[in-house]
Amino acid sequence: MQRQRSLIVLILVLLIAAIAVIATIPVPLGLDLRGGSQLTILVKPTAEIKQITERELEAVKKVVEGRVNGLGVAEPLIQTVGSNKIVVQLPGVNDPAQAERVLGGTAQLEFRLQKTGTEAQFLALQVSRSELKTKQEDLLHKSDKAAIDKNEAELRKNDQEIANLFESFQTPLTGKYLKDAQGEPTKDKNWDVYIRFDTNGGNLFAEITKQLAGTGRAIGIFLDSRLISAPSVGPEHAATGITGGNAIIQGRFTAQQANDLGVQLRGGSLPLPVEIVERRTVGATLGKDSIQSSIYAGIGGLVLVLIFMVAYYRLPGIIADIALIIYSLLTWAAFALLGVTLTLPGIAGFILSIGMAVDANVLIFERTREELRLGKTLYRSVESGFYRAFSSILDSHVTTWIACAALFWRGSGLVKGFALTLALGTLVSMFTAVSCSRTFMFLTISMPSFRKPDLFCPNLSNFLNKTEVAK
Amino acid sequence: MRLSISKSRNFWWTLSAAIILSGMISMLISWQTPDIHAPLRLGLDFVGGTRLQLVRDCTKPHNCDKPIDINIAREVAKAQGLGDSSIQVISENGSDNGLLIRCKDLNVDERTRLQSALTEKIGAFDPQKNQIDSVGPTLGRELFTSGILALVVAFACIVVYLSFRFQLDYAVFAIVAIFHDLLITLGIFSIFGLLFRIEIDSLFIVALLTVTGFSVTDTVVIYDRIREVLSRHPGQPISQVVDDAVNQTLTRSINTTLTVLLTLFSIFFFGGETLRTFSLALIIGFTMGAYSSIFIASTLLSWWRERTELSMVEPLDIPASSQDG
Repeated sequence: MQRQRSLIVLILVLLIAAIAVIATIPVPLGLDLRGGSQLTILVKPTAEIKQITERELEAVKKVVEGRVNGLGVAEPLIQTVGSNKIVVQLPGVNDPAQAERVLGGTAQLEFRLQKTGTEAQFLALQVSRSELKTKQEDLLHKSDKAAIDKNEAELRKNDQEIANLFESFQTPLTGKYLKDAQGEPTKDKNWDVYIRFDTNGGNLFAEITKQLAGTGRAIGIFLDSRLISAPSVGPEHAATGITGGNAIIQGRFTAQQANDLGVQLRGGSLPLPVEIVERRTVGATLGKDSIQSSIYAGIGGLVLVLIFMVAYYRLPGIIADIALIIYSLLTWAAFALLGVTLTLPGIAGFILSIGMAVDANVLIFERTREELRLGKTLYRSVESGFYRAFSSILDSHVTTWIACAALFWRGSGLVKGFALTLALGTLVSMFTAVSCSRTFMFLTISMPSFRKPDLFCPNLSNFLNKTEVAK
Repeated sequence: MRLSISKSRNFWWTLSAAIILSGMISMLISWQTPDIHAPLRLGLDFVGGTRLQLVRDCTKPHNCDKPIDINIAREVAKAQGLGDSSIQVISENGSDNGLLIRCKDLNVDERTRLQSALTEKIGAFDPQKNQIDSVGPTLGRELFTSGILALVVAFACIVVYLSFRFQLDYAVFAIVAIFHDLLITLGIFSIFGLLFRIEIDSLFIVALLTVTGFSVTDTVVIYDRIREVLSRHPGQPISQVVDDAVNQTLTRSINTTLTVLLTLFSIFFFGGETLRTFSLALIIGFTMGAYSSIFIASTLLSWWRERTELSMVEPLDIPASSQDG
């Protein structure tokens, strides 16, 4: 009795704590329920860096963070996954196009010098380049895939040839010397990107412009090894170069391109090339619809189960229902405490774990009925019902845990959510189905008005009489 | 009601074999079908590609006056070099204002181009109702292999656990029962893939693992009882023991399966679209799990013990006290 009383106190304390937790800490909803975009970025090795270590991945993640912050999305979540992936979650983003564009490029910016004696060649290449570009525009309207591909290949070859005409400065002037980058509109409706160097970058820029001033050779602004613009430096800068650390990238950008580039440059360049290998977007209303219908369906199913338990198992059914409600509250509180993000499969896992909890009670009550039919007293029947059903309950829970562990170890995001909620749920149900139901059950049969075997097993007296007669 | 399953076991074995066989035939047919090329119709998660679900914004004036013409959508896709994509008009709130497009993996520019071309020809879409999924082919393969790996590892762990808790032959037949349930579930989904174009995704693998867990649970409960009856009546013929054990646990098997199916059916009929295939897989798998634990796992065990016990004089002696704790 003493043990039971302390168990009841424990259950009450847990229950109050659970309700307090549920009231204060909300369970965060996954993107599939609240709407938003999730992008999985694969970090690719290069010829120099063949193995992606944790350090490289962290470096990439930092740059990605910088760029995501530049997008101005509320509460973004950026995590590394496995050895070479980064997952970016953008709540509330219905169309991830801008995010994809900004996150996809490496954004390696470099200011290079045109090699001496290449002026004529450069001019020729620029002419053929603009011809190819015009042709590309025409082709896109005709949607002839083969021709588009062929033209694109020629464009790439042209890019490469132009890049060969430029060389890096002794200390390459790259994006890492940037302090700020901002898209600004020009007079003729195009956009430029204004950049500001830090002190070292400003000095390098001054030296480069000093070297090129008045020579007719251009300073090449390269983004990911492609020439964006090639302004020349006037002879008036021959003495000191362009000082002050400011420069403009003129590339006939659209407003969007200029802003995207600004975000990329501000966030820094990626040390490794990346590819977006997975995008999942759920519109906000769509997510709300599916959460509502799934939660209603789940609650509807549970109410049916609760009714079934009382209808079939009578008094123990009521006890089981109380235990199930306690179970649901405790599990929900556990989700809140552990910061489990609730996804649609997560809800499914939670509902299934309730199924497991019901099973444990069914096992116990069936066993109790059997013992009663064998003619045992109520107290002994209840006791052996719990005692004998325990090994089945343990086995079933352990096998479920094994399956959950396998899912958690290997699964992707959504699958993990399911495994986590199911495993947590079965853990709690081990406690509620066995300890809670047991305590309540013994408490009930200690009250004389409830100590009627018929409340536990309908038609028991008839059954016992019949077997009596049969004997 | 009393089932004498040991007598009718040949019937149950034939029934199961027939269902499994038809599933396998369907898998073979799927394999030969050019647009599937696998035993089951694999979804986006495993083969990679882009899936766009767009719904027109009907709050804008005259946006939804005309129903969506699927041929216009097809022409738009063809003009973008996506002639081989599958396009469906889906209904949203009773009117055909949604569009579902499955095609190869598109990058951001290709996708934006397709979306703006569709907007131009068909009408403005509501971004709040968008669903855009896009999986690269390499990631798809990765998801598939890791899913299969999870399944295999879970299997191995369950065998080890069961042979530790029971005996090796119990564990082996429990696994046979799991295979039975999984094969039937796979077979039925292969048929669904052929008939109703239902695709399997990562959640399907989750469903298979959950089915595994529940199937083992059902079998373990009966095995537990067989062990108990055996220890109480060591002299009884094994087929009698198995029949008794199955009948004593029958109400439990039915009630548990019933309660789980209640919630699953409710999710299936009223839950979100995303969970429909998942709950269907669980409904089939759990029903099979209950069926196989009663009619397959236990009858196989009694058949096996009958054969081996002919050469064994002593019945297996398992102390009852050590199993209940």
